[in-house]
Amino acid sequence: MSVASTDTGPAGTTPPAPGPAKAAAPKASINPFKRLLLMKEGSIVVVTVATLIYFAITTPHFFSSQGLQNLLPFFAPFAIIAAGEVFVMINGEIDLSVGGTYLICPFIFNEFTSAHIPLIPAMILAILVCTLVGAINGFFVAYIGINSFVTTLGTLFSLFGITLVMSHDTQIQTPGTSLFGGGTFESVFGNGTYSELFWAIGIVIVLQLALSFTKWGIYTVAVGGNRLGAKEAGINEKRNMMRNFMLCALLAAFVGILEAVRSGSATPDPAQSSELMFQVVAAAVIGGTLLVGGFGTVVGAMIGALFLGIIQDGLVLKGVNANYLYLYQGLAILLAMTINIYIARVRVGAGRG
Amino acid sequence: MSDEDFMGDIVERLEWDERKEEDTPLKRMKQVTRRTALTGGAAGIAAMALQACGGSSHKTANTGTGTATASSGGGGGSAAAAIFGPSPKYHFVMVNHVTTNPFFTPTQSGAADACKLLGCSYQWTGSATSNVGQMVTSINNAVAAKADGIAVALISKTSFNQPVAKAMNAGIPVVSYNSDVPTVDRLSYIGQDLFQSGVEMGKKVIGLVPSGEIALFIATPGSLNIQPRIDGAISVLKSHPSIKYHVVATGAQTPQELSTINSWASSHSSAKGMFAVDAGSTQSLGQVLLKQGLYKKGWKGGGYDLTPITQKLIAHGIMEFTIDQQPYLQGFLPILQLYMYKVTQKLTGPATTDTGLKFLTKSTVGPYVSTKSKYEGTSTGPVTKA
Repeated sequence: MSVASTDTGPAGTTPPAPGPAKAAAPKASINPFKRLLLMKEGSIVVVTVATLIYFAITTPHFFSSQGLQNLLPFFAPFAIIAAGEVFVMINGEIDLSVGGTYLICPFIFNEFTSAHIPLIPAMILAILVCTLVGAINGFFVAYIGINSFVTTLGTLFSLFGITLVMSHDTQIQTPGTSLFGGGTFESVFGNGTYSELFWAIGIVIVLQLALSFTKWGIYTVAVGGNRLGAKEAGINEKRNMMRNFMLCALLAAFVGILEAVRSGSATPDPAQSSELMFQVVAAAVIGGTLLVGGFGTVVGAMIGALFLGIIQDGLVLKGVNANYLYLYQGLAILLAMTINIYIARVRVGAGRG
Repeated sequence: MSDEDFMGDIVERLEWDERKEEDTPLKRMKQVTRRTALTGGAAGIAAMALQACGGSSHKTANTGTGTATASSGGGGGSAAAAIFGPSPKYHFVMVNHVTTNPFFTPTQSGAADACKLLGCSYQWTGSATSNVGQMVTSINNAVAAKADGIAVALISKTSFNQPVAKAMNAGIPVVSYNSDVPTVDRLSYIGQDLFQSGVEMGKKVIGLVPSGEIALFIATPGSLNIQPRIDGAISVLKSHPSIKYHVVATGAQTPQELSTINSWASSHSSAKGMFAVDAGSTQSLGQVLLKQGLYKKGWKGGGYDLTPITQKLIAHGIMEFTIDQQPYLQGFLPILQLYMYKVTQKLTGPATTDTGLKFLTKSTVGPYVSTKSKYEGTSTGPVTKA
C-alpha cells in the first residue's frame, strides 16, 4: 500500500500515456510506475489515487486528518466482507446472503448476552452460529449442486425472516455499548476511531497471504479456474468451496458486530441490508476479481472498496443534493472504470494479461 | 387457577368438536385466536374482578370471574361480545407499504391488541418496499378472500381508486391509515399526514434556528414513508431565505447513515443545526452532535421516531426534539373502527381521526426513557420499567 501511494504520486497529475507501454516487454529495468501497472491491482490503484487527489483538491475538509478519519467507515467494513466474497468468487460462485448474515449477527449476539453470557464469548458464539450459515450455503452448492446464486438467495431471505421474527421487528441497543462510548469492548470492536481500519488491514493481509501462498488459496484458484481439472488432480473441490462460503459468512457476521457496535444499535430492516451485498460484490469486481471465477485478489477488493468509499464520502462533502447523489455516484463509477480498463491495457500490452 | 382451567376446558371441547374438519390454515388460525381470546380474556377479567374486590378473599374473586367468563364464553368468544352482542369472528386485513419497517411494529401491536380485545383477527400484509402493485394485489386478495374489512396506507394518488372501490362495492369496508388520499372512496382516515408532520417539523426548525446553514437528512430519497416528511419541511423552509438548508441522502443502513452525517458535520463547521426525517438518521445525528461536541457549540438537532438511543440523547439535552407519530394508535383505531362498523351493522360509521403528532423534548421524553413498551416499539409487552 505504502509503495503504491508514493509511486503513483505523479500519476494523478500527468495522464498516463498508453502508447509507449505497448511495446515494453517486462524487463528487470522497467521504471517503478510501470512495474506498478504490471501488478494485478495496478490500474485500480491509479484510478483510486486519482479520485483521491481529485477530491483532495476540489473539496475542502476532505484531506484533513478529520476528513480521512471520516472516510474509514465508508470502506473498512466493506473491505472485510469483500475479502471473504473474493474467495467465493474465485471459486466461480457468489454469496448473496452476506447482507442477511450481517443483519442477523447482532441480534444473535444480543440473545446470547441476554442469556448472561459474557460479551466476548457471546460474540464468538454469535459469529460461529453465523458461520454455520456459510456451511449450509456451501453444502447446498457443493454437495447438493444448487446454483450458488439461488442457494444464497434462499438463505438471504430466510435470514431476513428469522431476524424479523427473533427481534420482533424491534431495534436493539448493541450489547457492550453505551451512549457516551469509551468502553474497551466497544473501542476494540468497531467504535474506536481506527478499530475498523485495523481489523480490515489485518484481515486483508492475512487472507491475501493465505490466497497467494497456502494450499487452501491455491486450491481455491484451481477449483475456480477448472473445477473438473482440479478434481482430477485430487483436490477435494467440495470441501474447498464449503470452506470459502464459511469464511465469507464469518466475515459478514463479524462486520455485522463491528457496525452494530459502531452505531450503538441494530435495526432489523431487511430492505436496507440487501444493498450491502451490491457494494461488496462491486468492490471485489472493481478490484479485479472475475465474476466467472478463477482469478481475484483480496488487496484489490480492499482498494475497490476504498474507491467506492472515496466517491461516496467525497460527494457528501461536496454537498451534493440528495436527489443527485445516486446519479453522480453511478456516473463516477462508470467513468473511473472506463479509465481503469484503458490503464489495464498496459498490462495486457506487456503480455501479463 | 380454576378459572383458567374452566376456559381451557371450553377451548378443548370446541377443538374436539372441530377435529373432523380439514386441517386448513384458517382452522388453525381460528383455534389459536380463540385460545388467546378466551384464555387472555379470562385472565383480564380475573384481574379486574380481583381489583373490584379490593384484593379480598381468593374465593370471591373466583366466583366473580366464573360468571363473567361464562357469559363471554357463551356470547361469541370475547369480552366485546358481552357488550356488542354475538358476532362472527371478523377477519380484517391491514395493507402496509413497508411491512418490515420497525416504525410499524407498534402499529402491529395496536392491531393485535384491538383484535384480542374484540375477538377478531387481522393479517399484516402488503409490500416491504413501497411497491404499489404488490399492495393492490393484497387488497384484491383480501376482497377475494372475503375479508370483513380492510385498512390500507394510501401511498399513491391514483393507484388505489379502483381496488378500494371494488372492495367497497363487494360490501367490504375500507379505511385508510398512516397515509391518505382524500379522493379515494374510503370510509375514514386514521393517522397524521406525513407531509403535514413535515410542515410541523419545518416550523419547529425555524423556531430553533432562525437563520444560518442547516442539514436535512433523509435515508433514501423517494421512499414513500419518509419523502413526504422532508417535502413538508422544505415547503416551510423555502419561504425563509435566512435559512440555508442542504438536503443530504444518508444511505440505507444505520451505520452508513452515521458515517455520512459524521462527514457532513465535520465539513460544515459553520452550520447551525441538523435535522432528519427517518429514525436512523435522527439517532445518528444525535450521536454526531454528542461525539463531535457540537451540541456545546449551540448546534440544534431534531427528527423523527423513538429509537432508544434517540430518547436518551434528548433526555441528555444533546438534541432538541423528536416527533412521535403515535404508530400504536394507527393500528389500534382502524381495527376498532372496522369492528364497530361491522358489529353495529353500519349504524356507527368510521370517523376520520387525527392520531396527532407529539413533539418530544427534554421535558417530555422522561416517561419514554424510563419505560419500555409495545406502544413505542421498545418491547413486546405493556409498559414496564426500562
